[in-house]
Formats: sequence, structure tokens, C-alpha cells
Amino acid sequence: MEILVLVKPVPDPETRLRPNAAGTGLDTEGVKWVLAGYDESAVEQALLLKEAIAGSHVRAVAFGPAPRTEEILRSALALGCDAATWAEASGEQALDPLLAAQALAQACSTGPVELVLVGKQALDDEAGLVGPAVAERLGIADYGPVVDLRWDVSAGQFTFARAIEGGLERMTAPAPMLVCLQQAWNDPRTAKLQNVLKARRTAIDRAPALSAPSAPEAAASSARISGFRLPPPRTGAKMIEYKTPQEAAEKLVRLLRDEAKTLP
Amino acid sequence: MSGPVLVVVERRGRDPVRSSLEAIGAARNLAGGTGLVAVLLGSDLEPAARIVASLGASKVITVPDRRFDTFHAALWAGAVVSMAQELLVSTIVVAGTTNGRQLTGRLAARWGAAAVSGVTEIASTPEGVLVALRPIFSGRAIQEVRLEGPRRVVGLRPNAFPEPDASGPVGTVEEHPVPELGSTPALGQRIAFEGAAAGAGPDLAEATVIVSGGRGLKAPENFRLLEELAASLGGAVGASRAVTDSGWKPTSYQIGQTGRTVSPQLYIAVGISGAIQHLVGMISSRTIVAINSDPNAPIFKVADYGVVGDLFQIVPALTAEIRKVRGI
Ligand SMILES: Cc1cc2nc3c(=O)[nH]c(=O)nc-3n(C[C@H](O)[C@H](O)[C@H](O)COP(=O)(O)OP(=O)(O)OC[C@H]3O[C@@H](n4cnc5c(N)ncnc54)[C@H](O)[C@@H]3O)c2cc1C
Ligand SMILES: Nc1ncnc2c1ncn2[C@@H]1O[C@H](COP(=O)(O)O)[C@@H](O)[C@H]1O
Repeated sequence: MEILVLVKPVPDPETRLRPNAAGTGLDTEGVKWVLAGYDESAVEQALLLKEAIAGSHVRAVAFGPAPRTEEILRSALALGCDAATWAEASGEQALDPLLAAQALAQACSTGPVELVLVGKQALDDEAGLVGPAVAERLGIADYGPVVDLRWDVSAGQFTFARAIEGGLERMTAPAPMLVCLQQAWNDPRTAKLQNVLKARRTAIDRAPALSAPSAPEAAASSARISGFRLPPPRTGAKMIEYKTPQEAAEKLVRLLRDEAKTLP
Repeated sequence: MSGPVLVVVERRGRDPVRSSLEAIGAARNLAGGTGLVAVLLGSDLEPAARIVASLGASKVITVPDRRFDTFHAALWAGAVVSMAQELLVSTIVVAGTTNGRQLTGRLAARWGAAAVSGVTEIASTPEGVLVALRPIFSGRAIQEVRLEGPRRVVGLRPNAFPEPDASGPVGTVEEHPVPELGSTPALGQRIAFEGAAAGAGPDLAEATVIVSGGRGLKAPENFRLLEELAASLGGAVGASRAVTDSGWKPTSYQIGQTGRTVSPQLYIAVGISGAIQHLVGMISSRTIVAINSDPNAPIFKVADYGVVGDLFQIVPALTAEIRKVRGI
């Protein structure tokens, strides 16, 4: 099976967020870019399937600028992916999920497409747009948010569950398909040193340059990010003084009702 | 903005889901005089269609076909885009359900539209540009996005918009034959649904109130205290990873970096220390209350209201007080 996994470089979750000078995005000065969150789970899921299905092959695909995009592809290789494809873009272009989807779909379709794994959402923009948009462009079904994905050899189909409101929806589906992963509840593996070294020498394939969308198409489909700001800092809790638990409860309920107005 | 606004309405059983009603509320403000069309797909649509028509949709279109009873983004997107083209729609509004989240990107790619998801506030400028706000980076930043083109898809965040009231004229309900779906890929099949136990209250993703417990609960049976508090508020119960790792609650309860992300109106953290991995999953809740015996617990730094004390005394008192004021 040919497994494609889409990975996006995101700022290290510990990054102190600061707006850039224009106030339109994150100040990326000094930011450490990592493979993290749902994408880490997607890679883990790809590797688990590879181990379970004889003769399968995992390719990591990423869209974005140098050097961070190349670096996270090397992280994916170090974890055990067999090959990597880089669709180069400017930092500006990398902010547009639908443009990313167009480029990623193009990069995916240079070979056979049987299974595409993506994160439910990227840790930074939390858009959740890229996966379904890639599936639409590839003309394949998409499912999400998915847990517990397996390949049923005898039936020749995938089995998985969608984690939806109120419970788990168990499904089966044929290849080709794209899944947006909720989580590999098992902890993602860490790379072995020898594989990190090997990944440094692995050649990264370059995706053909993105064919520019026509002007009207670009105008229709572009959303412009015009602001980035930090929410007002939480100033710490208003602490409730009380003598008895009853008094604490009465004071808290009064505050929730009259001040916060969030008591149903 | 010229054409009408279209809202995709989802159901659970025969009723519209709450997030879809919130979407009607948000779309009502955007539509102004251009008209608000709601679309329902599947079988037995009439009861939900009547409800939606009374809440401000000028027209409710039902597309009765069993194929839509299982959610398939590819199939739904095909039908919705067809309807949008036929009705010369300018904007599609999608609720922040798990299905809605799966639909938003697919719709946008199929329709050639601009898209924004996870929206908590949206307004239209006099020139007809949509300006949306959305929390990103786990609520640690807010992004503003402008949609200027002729076609836009707006995905909402649950619990961010008020449900509309039933004032104003009642819209019409029309049945529509299944529109041209275009090419449809090979689709999977739903084989089973493993639901949470009946009477378990709302799902975490949709709950307006979440009462969440941590290691401070000391034993799984003590979660009964939180279940009673949640029930008094019509809310759901969540947990920290310390709890799910210990097997006190299934992983579906876990809130945080490796669990669910929630944004209820009210989040009550009980016996939870407030590790960063927990905070990222709940920080964008509207009001946060912390109950913890340790005055230095980090949870108090992000909470709006704090009670330092023994949860085994505070929680029952709180449940009793809430029952009293809510008359239940
Ligand atoms: C990669 C990674 C991912 C993680 N993902 C998550 C995640 O998704 N979600 C998550 O929650 N955690 C996650 N964690 C774990 C996280 O770091 C914390 O360990 C965890 O959140 C702690 O849970 P807790 O607050 O319940 O327990 P503790 O930290 O042990 O806190 C228990 C609290 O209960 C209080 N307490 C004790 N007795 C009482 C009493 N009688 N009355 C009142 N208060 C009392 C104590 O003062 C204490 O503050 C993750 C960690 C890692 C490394
Ligand atoms: N630039 C990118 N390169 C590769 N994969 C991406 C990129 N952007 C998004 N993805 C994938 O799509 C998922 C959802 O991203 P988003 O729609 O931005 O929330 C991510 O978890 C990745 O798997």
C-alpha cells in the first residue's frame, strides 16, 4: 500500500506568541518549527499501518518555505517514513489553507493515491480545511475525525471510527480515501539517533511548481488574513472568601449569575 | 453581498442540532435583506424543517434522500454546492459540528470559494466584505480574516453564537429533488454506532457547561459528585489525563493537548492542577471556575473565579445551591 502523510511545520507549542510589526500574523523571528500535534499522530498512524501491511511504503508530503519545511520532512523520515516530497512555497503562501490544499493535491497525484493521512487540524491555524479540500481535489472520499484506523486484509478495505458527537461511528471504506486523524491515543514514537543521521542524507523529492490559479479563481477563493492579536491576559482568578462551603457556593453562584452571566 | 446566505442544517434524530440553530442565528445577521435559505438533507426532514422555518429562514429546502442519512462529506458537498449554484448564493454558513468541520474545506474547494473555519464572531462591512474572528493556537491568539470574493464558506465554532428566537415571519418549506451531485468517489459504509450511555447528558463538544475532574477526585466512584453537579447545570463531565490514564474514565473524556478541545460557556475544573497540556484544551472557555485545595495550583492563573478548598465539601454545596436557584 502506498501511504501518503501530510505534515505541516508549526511553531513549537512552547513558543511565546508575539504579533509581527504589521499586526497581521505571528512574529516568526526565532521561532522553532516542529512536527507536532495531530500531524505527529498522523505519522505514527502511517508507520503503524506500514508495519501491519506487508510491502507498504510511506511518503511524507509538505508545503512551505525553506528551511523549516525541509527540516520537518527530515523529522518524518527519521521517524521511519520511506520518502518525502517538498512543495516549495513562500511564508506568505503557506498561510493559505486552500492554496496549500491545491499544491498538496498536486504533489500527491504524481504517484498512486491509496491512502492519504492528515491531521484533523494544524496546531497553529487550527483550520481543519486542508484535508477535506485535498480530498475534493483528488476526487476521493474523506473521513474525520478518525481514530482506530486499520486495514482489513481479507475484506480488502479500511475499518475505522469517527469520533463524533455522542459516540463513535464505526465505518468501513475502500481505498482510495483521505482521513483526518483525531489522535493516535498511543504515544507517538521518537526517532532513533541512527535514523536521524540517515534522514539527513535521504534525498527529498521536489514537487512540480504550483500552477498559478487564474486571476478570477484566485480572487474568489482567497481569504485575506488581516489581523493577529493576543487575547487580553487572564489576570488570575477572583478568589472567593468564605467560612462555610455553603457560603462559598452561594457567592460563586451569585457571581456566575450576575457578573459572568454564564449560569444557564 | 448580493445573493442569499445558505445554511446547512444537521439533525440528530428528528431535531436540528443546536450548533445548526446557532448557525441560523449567525446567518440571520449576515443575510440582512438578501434572504436566508436553510438546506436539510436525508429522510424524514419535515419536523426539523418546520422548526428552522420558524427561526428566521426565509426559505427551507428539504432534499429527501436516504443516501444523505449517513454523513459523507463528498456527497453532502456535491448536493450543497449544486443548490448554492442554483440559488446564486453568496455565502454558505456551516455549523461547528464534527460533520460541519469536515464539510467546510470540501465545500470551499468544490465551489471555488474563500473559506474560514472556527469562527467566533463575524460581520459584514458596508462594502459587503465579511470580517471574521477566530481563536488560533489553542486560544492563545485571535486571527482576523477578510473574505472579499463573491463566494465564501464560513464554518463556525460551537457555542459562539446565540440560538435565534422564533420572532418574525415563518419561512416557506419546499421539497427539492436531489440535485446533480457531480462525480462522486467510492464511499464507505457506516456499520455501527457506539453511543454514550443514554441519559449521559450532552456531548463534550456541544455542552455549554463542562464540569471536569482531575486526580484530586481520588477514586473513580467520586465522579458521581461531578455528574450530579453537571446534571444540575445541564452540562457534561470531562477529565484530565491523570484520570483517563488511571482508567477512571475512558479517553473520550480527556480534555487537553492529547484529548478534546472544548470551549463551553462555563468550565468548572475540580481537583485539576492546571498543567499546560490541560489548559490548551479548555482555555478558550468563556468563564472558568477552579476548585482546588492548593492555593498555588496553576489553574487559578487562568480561572475567572477560584475556590480554595476541599472539593468533597465544596462540590456538594455548589450542586445544592444551583438546584436551589434553578428550582430543580
Ligand atoms: C505530551 C503530553 C500530553 C499531555 N496531554 C494531556 C491532556 O491532553 N490533558 C491533560 O489533562 N493532561 C495532559 N498531560 C498531562 C499533564 O501534564 C498533567 O500531568 C495532568 O493534566 C495532571 O492531571 P491533574 O491535574 O488531574 O492531576 P494533578 O496534577 O495531580 O493535580 C491534582 C490536583 O488536585 C488537587 N486536589 C487534591 N485533592 C483535592 C481535594 N480534596 N480538593 C480539591 N483539590 C484537590 C491538587 O491540589 C492538585 O492541584 C499531558 C502530558 C504530556 C507530557
Ligand atoms: N503546508 C502544509 N503542508 C503539509 N500538510 C499540511 C499543510 N497544511 C496543512 N496540512 C495538513 O492538513 C492538516 C490540517 O491543517 P489545517 O487545515 O491547516 O488545520 C494538517 O494537520 C496537515 O496534516
